[in-house]
Amino acid sequence: MHKIVTKRELVSHINLFEFSAKEIAAKTKPGQFVILKVDEKGERIPLTVAGADVKKGTITVVCHEVGKTTRQLGSLKEGDCILDLLGLLGKPAEIGKFGTVLCVGGGVMVAPLHFQAKAFRETGNVVIGVIGARTENQLIFEGEMREVCNELYVATDDGTKGHKGLDFLRDLFKERRIDRVVAVGPIVMMKTVSELTRPFGIPTIVNLIPIMVDGMGMCGACRVTVGGKTMFACVDGPDFDGHQVDFEELTARLKMYAPQEKLAFVFHEKGERSL
Amino acid sequence: METGKEELRIGVFVCHCGFNVGGVINVPAVVECAKTLPNVVCAEEDLYMCSSAGLSLLKERIKKYNLNRVVVASCTPATHEPLFRKACEEAGLNKYLFEMVNIREHSSWVHMHQPKEATEKAKDLIRMAVAKASYLEPLIEPELEINRSALVVGGGIAGMTAAVSLARQGFSVHLVEKEAELGGMLRYLYKLQPTGRDASEILRKAVTVVKAHGNIRLHTSTLVQEVEGFFGNFDVRLQKKYSSELEQINVGTIIVATGAEEFKPMRMYRYKENENVVTQLELEQLLKKDALKKPKKVVMIQCVGAREKTGRTYCSRICCMVALNNALLLKKLHPTVEICILFRDLQTYGENEDFYHEARKRFIDFIRYDPDEPPKVTLKPDGKLTVTVYDAYLEAEIEIDSDLVVLSTPLVQHDDGRKLSSILKVPLGSDGFFFEAHPKLKPVEFSSEGIYVCGTAHGPKDVTESIAQACAAASRAAIPMAVGKVKAEAVKASVDKDICVNCDACEVSCIFNAIDALPFGLPNVIEANCKGCGVCAAECPMGAMQLRHFKDQQIVAAIEALLKPKKLVSFGGSFEPIILCFACQWCSYAAADLAGVSRIQYPSNVRILRVPCSGRVDVLYVVEAFLNGADGVIITGCLIGDCHYIDGNLKAKSRVDVMKKSLTALGVDPERLEIGFASSSEGQKFASMMTDFVEKIKRLGPNPLRVKEGGD
Repeated sequence: MHKIVTKRELVSHINLFEFSAKEIAAKTKPGQFVILKVDEKGERIPLTVAGADVKKGTITVVCHEVGKTTRQLGSLKEGDCILDLLGLLGKPAEIGKFGTVLCVGGGVMVAPLHFQAKAFRETGNVVIGVIGARTENQLIFEGEMREVCNELYVATDDGTKGHKGLDFLRDLFKERRIDRVVAVGPIVMMKTVSELTRPFGIPTIVNLIPIMVDGMGMCGACRVTVGGKTMFACVDGPDFDGHQVDFEELTARLKMYAPQEKLAFVFHEKGERSL
Repeated sequence: METGKEELRIGVFVCHCGFNVGGVINVPAVVECAKTLPNVVCAEEDLYMCSSAGLSLLKERIKKYNLNRVVVASCTPATHEPLFRKACEEAGLNKYLFEMVNIREHSSWVHMHQPKEATEKAKDLIRMAVAKASYLEPLIEPELEINRSALVVGGGIAGMTAAVSLARQGFSVHLVEKEAELGGMLRYLYKLQPTGRDASEILRKAVTVVKAHGNIRLHTSTLVQEVEGFFGNFDVRLQKKYSSELEQINVGTIIVATGAEEFKPMRMYRYKENENVVTQLELEQLLKKDALKKPKKVVMIQCVGAREKTGRTYCSRICCMVALNNALLLKKLHPTVEICILFRDLQTYGENEDFYHEARKRFIDFIRYDPDEPPKVTLKPDGKLTVTVYDAYLEAEIEIDSDLVVLSTPLVQHDDGRKLSSILKVPLGSDGFFFEAHPKLKPVEFSSEGIYVCGTAHGPKDVTESIAQACAAASRAAIPMAVGKVKAEAVKASVDKDICVNCDACEVSCIFNAIDALPFGLPNVIEANCKGCGVCAAECPMGAMQLRHFKDQQIVAAIEALLKPKKLVSFGGSFEPIILCFACQWCSYAAADLAGVSRIQYPSNVRILRVPCSGRVDVLYVVEAFLNGADGVIITGCLIGDCHYIDGNLKAKSRVDVMKKSLTALGVDPERLEIGFASSSEGQKFASMMTDFVEKIKRLGPNPLRVKEGGD
């Protein structure tokens, strides 16, 4: 059992949680993920860690309500417990001294990106942050990112805040020397960033969380094709070379259980009201 | 309410349709019921709502009562919806604020001997429509400019005919041919039936006309490399073969006339092993070049590589005629030659039958063979060919020595056709040929607007048929170009960006590439490409993607309006289940209409709710229906392979499969959910599906989620 020490709604349907997990907190590094299960019959879902507090013995995750399990999680309160928390999983992000690192984050994933950006800054890199969301009211962690980045750009799909889309990065790449790009966010964002950096030859790392079951390299559900080779995101990643990832396949694989997911969500929503 | 603070003022008009509705349904009772429904400020009846008097009444009442929603209960929207919508517009009401109820085809005509039940059904259907109408929104149909030039792909007889037809109507035409010369398959044919004229003569004339016409720009040795844009405004990139030369053109419409190729029966009947085994097309080549040594005994084998159990299952339509034609030509050239045609079924429809009789008169032999025991071609030591065949009539094996074996093989799609299909994103059928939007209503169009098909690209045809179809395609393509602009459908997908969770489900599900995901995952609907099927909305896990005019709240309102009053179930007397049927607006709705027109009676328990495509049926609707007490839910769509949105019905089916596994969690027997498919011509099948389903639900008893009377 892991207690929810803190729960904070960042924007509508996006919550920050601090779970008490002493052993996990002691070892947490940016880029890694945990798998949690809300209750006995719950689904196991992977979530990338957004921070840890060794003294308090807590880890931080930020979760967007996108279906049944995340909605269930979102309905829990401070002091409630979740049944299981498994971690740490996946390889930590490579936090070296690269020079200038551009960290691009989208949606809920800006939170785990912040964890990485902070580490890059502490290692002595110049960190340029780019954060975005569909629309202004979905943007999270702007203040936190501003603190750890040397400079910060904001973008939205609909142009309600900052740049409209990510095309402005092309000009940035033309004008500035950037040694490494880290993209953590929706698949389409990671794909877009990888396509933007490709002509400039900037090493681009993306963080992939496909459908997972065990998270320890046994089931193969999280397989992704990188450079023509099959990799398991849980043990070979979750960080991969964005220029080598087959994003089309990844998108298709993520939608494999779409009807089941939707039905589970409808049951859950209707169950609360009508059953 | 979606439309804000505006007070809802709904008018309901019930049509007697003379005796058609009024003779069965108690119209005054239905009107009285309508008056009690929420927000209905006026409910009236008329003998014929579609008459000019009826339409005047409608318009007058809209003004008098300041109606902002109108429901007409009469016949099928397939024929009369445009008329009533127009009347609404004339009275100053947006036409999308109109909802139609079909109480004739779907009630009075199919429950002719059950006036009480038909009346109750009519009331229910009106309840549903009024509830939906409360949530209707005014929509605007955007106008698109049409570039008045066309691209014709393929310079065979179909492509040339279509190009000339459009050019003569004053449109500029780009005619693209992959070969260096025009003509396509016609270049290889010899004499054409029924006239017996030289193919080369017809070809020469056609090419002269094409080359002389100032409106036609010819691109030979050219392939279509890429097509972007949409109806009225296609950007096409042409690639010159054997060079890196590219040309960009813009056209308003595209006609696919890429033809087909003859199937080469490799490893069959010693083809390519022996030079005296040839295909029909190769025989015509030999005749044309006068290179055929006089044969003594010719055997023709029909259906080689066609009408197979798997793969090429289709009949190639023209081969029987080709064989007869070539056999008669050989006889004319060499009267002493003996000819034997081995066939499965001879298909010489229409006037072609005369050629069969002519062949019999000239002592051409016909032997029927069994596809399970096909003929064998063997090579004798002296190099001569022997054909062995089991004669199904004589019940004996026959050996025929032959010095020429001619194989009748089907026309098949070629690689360039398959490539073009993916470039244009238009479908191929299971036979590999281009697949039209509707066999009867849109026979030369694709469901992607502005793209048309003709000739053998669409399936095996003779020259006459190809020419006729090319004229049809050209005339259909000319319509939007003549008008210069089109009103686009207003029923399109749209996203609520506050609810969206950037999951990509909509983008992945859209077969028309009408949704682009922006970098942070917000879907961007390309309205010009959106066909309004609503599959994306049904796939959206959050309800963020919606289809205008068929939004979740509009459909759920109809479901609740039907079921909420019936949740109380009485166990006294016989159990009459309430069954909700989702019908796609194309085939299955039309099948239900046809059942009505044909007066095929089926149980009155079924309530039909029209959706654009079975793929629009959200799992939410099914769950809502059962939770609100539906005893059964049946989703109906076009036949598999015939979906007007390519694969919406398949998506519906896979959703039903998933739901069936999970319904027990709700306490609902999975047998209460069914999916069925019917073409627009299958009224009987639709009625039978409903009868069988009602019987099944009667056996299962009431939905356990319905509340028992007197209990809780």
